Amino acid sequence: MIGALKWWAGPLLAFALLAALRLLLPLAFVIEVLIFSIYTIGCSFLLGRVGFISFGQPAYLAVGAYGTGFYLFYFGTNPYLGLLIGLVSGFVFALAVGPLFVRLRSDYFALVNLALAVIIFYLMQKVLADVTKGDNGLWFLTNIGSTPGLDIARPEGFFVFSLLVGLAVWAFYKYVNDSVFGACCLASKLNEDKLKFLGYGNFGIRLMAFVLANTTSALAGSMYAIYLGFVSPEITSPARAADPVVVTILGGTGSLYGPIIGTLAYTGMKDAISKLVGNWELAIGFLLVFIMLAGEKGIWGTLEPRLQRALSRVKARVAR
Amino acid sequence: MSADSDAAIVRAENVTKRFGALTAVDQVSYSLRRNEVAGIFGSNGAGKTTFFNLLTGYYVPEEGSIWYKGEDITRRPIQQRVAMGMMRTFQLTSTFDNLSVVDNLVLAFYRAHRSVSLWRMLFSTCRAHRNEPRVLAALETFDLGDQRDKEVRHLSLGEKRRLEIAMSMLAEPEVLLLDEPLAGLADSEIKSVLEVLGRQVGKQTIVIVEHKVSAVKEFVQRLLVMHEGRVIAEGGYDECMQHPEVRRSYWQIDARQRGDEQ
Ligand SMILES: Nc1ncnc2c1ncn2[C@@H]1O[C@H](COP(=O)(O)OP(=O)(O)OP(=O)(O)O)[C@@H](O)[C@H]1O
Ligand SMILES: [Mg+2]
Repeated sequence: MIGALKWWAGPLLAFALLAALRLLLPLAFVIEVLIFSIYTIGCSFLLGRVGFISFGQPAYLAVGAYGTGFYLFYFGTNPYLGLLIGLVSGFVFALAVGPLFVRLRSDYFALVNLALAVIIFYLMQKVLADVTKGDNGLWFLTNIGSTPGLDIARPEGFFVFSLLVGLAVWAFYKYVNDSVFGACCLASKLNEDKLKFLGYGNFGIRLMAFVLANTTSALAGSMYAIYLGFVSPEITSPARAADPVVVTILGGTGSLYGPIIGTLAYTGMKDAISKLVGNWELAIGFLLVFIMLAGEKGIWGTLEPRLQRALSRVKARVAR
Repeated sequence: MSADSDAAIVRAENVTKRFGALTAVDQVSYSLRRNEVAGIFGSNGAGKTTFFNLLTGYYVPEEGSIWYKGEDITRRPIQQRVAMGMMRTFQLTSTFDNLSVVDNLVLAFYRAHRSVSLWRMLFSTCRAHRNEPRVLAALETFDLGDQRDKEVRHLSLGEKRRLEIAMSMLAEPEVLLLDEPLAGLADSEIKSVLEVLGRQVGKQTIVIVEHKVSAVKEFVQRLLVMHEGRVIAEGGYDECMQHPEVRRSYWQIDARQRGDEQ
């Protein structure tokens, strides 16, 4: 019982703090942080646990978003069902491309994913324009029906829903990190030969990691679709391809809470700077380069050891 | 097939492996009897490690075949050979340096005694296996108890070597292939590792590659001496040491060893 409480303490605290943020900041900002964190944790898991850097995460984000978008635009009104469809699309898509991709070396993996994002961008913008409405995108905000229980068609309801989904996702990744599978991912990242000679198959481990991570990205895409009520090719724009990688590194690669911290910092910076400076993207670019040069461990990677030291000092004092 | 080769658990038949113009292993035939303790010995670059790599599936030989319990495994992938009961260690110690000592052992234990199913692996935690009796016994046996929760990259070379041997033995393989397991160990560590291995005599087939033949002289029952990819002698320790070709190459090794110790 106490063990379980201790286990949940981290994720609960993190999301309680995010919920509290709502008191200080606009709803739209906090929801953006929640969704983008979910988007980033998949990327962080791939990079930190499995050693795969991907510059194509928007591809998977888009698959989730369009899965949900097509359903809500053409077929139905239930946002929960829409979410499920987005999630399943992401899962199936990752399972389809994964076997080809996870055989690649990390540098090729990064580029092939980028190519995939570009392909999907053009598919959605040009090739499938009849169904996707091209650059105009699919608008379905008014199609989304109210749901009994937690009504995620309303922003306040969606906020609560995002907190719950976030909590579940973090609990899931915390669990995965503790699992034998999670240990195998780390092992495979560092020494795939040794893992083979212990009798494990690297391919299956990597494929599963890939599918888990990219299904998570697709979940974030679905959430964007429902929250914004529209999807356009912009979501898979190659210009945004490096965002999750940048945020991952900014927060601290592979750490559980890095993606949240990174997203907070990145989104906050974007908001603040865009209000002050005209060419805000340029300013952010410079700032990011500076931050990454300053500390390669990222924000959370730098903070965590200090926090832990402080915590153990407090514990020692309490014990006395 | 003679009675002798029937009793063989692992058999190599005329295997050859080339790297470009270099023939690293040249027409080597060798058979290991069940539960024997064999040594492979030879100077630098003799092809010992490459021969290990052929037996365990790291390389496929250009010529010849490898047999395990009467089955042709020449082209079988590594994992299948492991599943059949072969386990090896590496000359350059090979562990998972980003995991704790105990989790390295858990991974070795889990595949061998639990499951290889990805789902099972996802739905069981490392924590649940850290106190498995066999894992605890391995920590105890190899004197790694104090390092239990340390990340392996903070270990000394000797500790890492012991960990790797511990990992390979946790899986309780039928055939254990050790590539220079004693290199980099202090004399006291060598003694205790040999003692642990000694307890397995008669229960496992053990092959040990070693430069310091003197260290394992008492331990191995049969020796294979290689030189420049070829087998130059095979048999008991004394028998091999009297072989003229061995005396010639042994002198080199002996000199090198004396150099090492300075
Ligand atoms: N991957 C490789 N590519 C090219 N040459 C190789 C490769 N592996 C081994 N060799 C060469 O093959 C020969 C045999 O090497 P091997 O490592 O098998 O020798 P060894 O008997 O294990 O030597 P040592 O006692 O130094 O470990 C050496 O000349 C080595 O340089
Ligand atoms: Mg060698």
